[in-house]
Amino acid sequence: MSQMLSPDMTIAAEAATKAKIEVKNLNFYYGQSKALKDITLSLPERSVTAFIGPSGCGKSTLLRVFNRIYELYPRQTAEGQVLLDGQNVLDRSQDLNLLRTKIGMVFQKPTPFPMSIYENIAFGVRLYEKISKAEMDGRVEQALKRAALWTEVKDKLNASGLSLSGGQQQRLCIARTVAVKPEVILLDEPASALDPLSTAKIEELIDELQADYTIVIVTHNMQQAARVSKQTAFMYLGELVEFDRTEKIFTSPREKRTQDYITGRFG
Amino acid sequence: MAEHTVAAFDEDLGQISRLISDMGDLAGSMVGGATKALLNSDNALAQRVVSDDAIMDARQRELDDRAITLIAKRQPMADDLRHVVGSIRMAGDLERIGDLAKNIAKRVGTVGLSATPRDLSHSIDAMAQLVLIQVQGVIEEYAARDAAALAKLRADDERIDVKYTSVFRELLTYMMEDPRNITACTHLLFCAKNLERIGDHVTNIAENAYYVLTGTQLPANRPKQDETAMSAPAA
Repeated sequence: MSQMLSPDMTIAAEAATKAKIEVKNLNFYYGQSKALKDITLSLPERSVTAFIGPSGCGKSTLLRVFNRIYELYPRQTAEGQVLLDGQNVLDRSQDLNLLRTKIGMVFQKPTPFPMSIYENIAFGVRLYEKISKAEMDGRVEQALKRAALWTEVKDKLNASGLSLSGGQQQRLCIARTVAVKPEVILLDEPASALDPLSTAKIEELIDELQADYTIVIVTHNMQQAARVSKQTAFMYLGELVEFDRTEKIFTSPREKRTQDYITGRFG
Repeated sequence: MAEHTVAAFDEDLGQISRLISDMGDLAGSMVGGATKALLNSDNALAQRVVSDDAIMDARQRELDDRAITLIAKRQPMADDLRHVVGSIRMAGDLERIGDLAKNIAKRVGTVGLSATPRDLSHSIDAMAQLVLIQVQGVIEEYAARDAAALAKLRADDERIDVKYTSVFRELLTYMMEDPRNITACTHLLFCAKNLERIGDHVTNIAENAYYVLTGTQLPANRPKQDETAMSAPAA
């Protein structure tokens, strides 16, 4: 696939949106096994992009390439280009710590650190910045407000992050991500372990966060992808099958494989 | 089209398709029956058309219930979503066709009292045949999944509009010629208008069916030839 796939934006304002991440001819290997096949696509800035597809299609793998988290594991290699604002994050010279401050990630299961709510957020900030206690207090409050958690925890900032409910823990993880001022937020099934009310809160949060961040979400819940994203990529067996405006994907997709998957006619 | 992993989903969609097909058949039979009753002054047939409308209404309610339940249970996407939403809209148009056929049937008794209904309604017969072909055609082409035929059928409504204009002028002439024709001709004018409206509902169905099948809308503007608003002759 040599041509850059980008969603067919018919509205002029959307067409003018700058690409935040451009993936060019990306291949990915788990040892000898090829998990991503020549992926090329462009993700617009300050917008939510959803990756959908059956288990093993490569959507989480693609997400893990963006912040090079795959390098924590042996025998995993990526070839091609992933440009963040025009800079290839796959370059050997790329500072990984700096990359991961720019591209934050939230996982399927909430993973708060076994420390206080306050420290869960301050810990990450301290790794990158030296700021005063007063500034840190402000930063923690701001992050918790951004993650719509402040009113629920402001009176118990010293309580353990693990004492929170699952939905609150996930919002704490989002607050932790937001606190280090990233440009891109990767969400890997962020609501799949949550009840409907907590899921709704996360979706509301995603909707608010897209004003300031470029968001990429991997989800098995197609209604969720339809609700929260502006563009959707359907992947299958390591290939990018179709990438288009979300309305288009869920009302009249171009490819038969996309149609079969989203209508429940697969295998 | 491949089957869904959940077989009951296919059954639910199949029931909605069958209801649309049943309502389409009933609409064709009501339009055919109403015009035949009008032309032959057949009160018994007219009565049957009137009572068929209750069946049509019941079918539409059943389709609505099934479609709403399907959306709630299965959250259809893409062509399935278009199928369900399109069926709800098509059922609305078919139900209106039933109402308009019933309205024609209800006028049969009054028109039949007139001395020369057969002569006056001759040109309505030709118009009714055009409409009937459209009503039957739209359901057949949708069942055959023939989008190109649906686009053509929608454009063919123009012929009904042209015919309606000529029926309108003809009936006005009869009324001017002999005021004793006014009552019958006025009812016949309503019948002609109902037939013209049925044609419009058929074009709506064709547009919805086309969207269900292709995912794209037909162009908004369609040629309109109903000139009756401009054709009233000077007294």
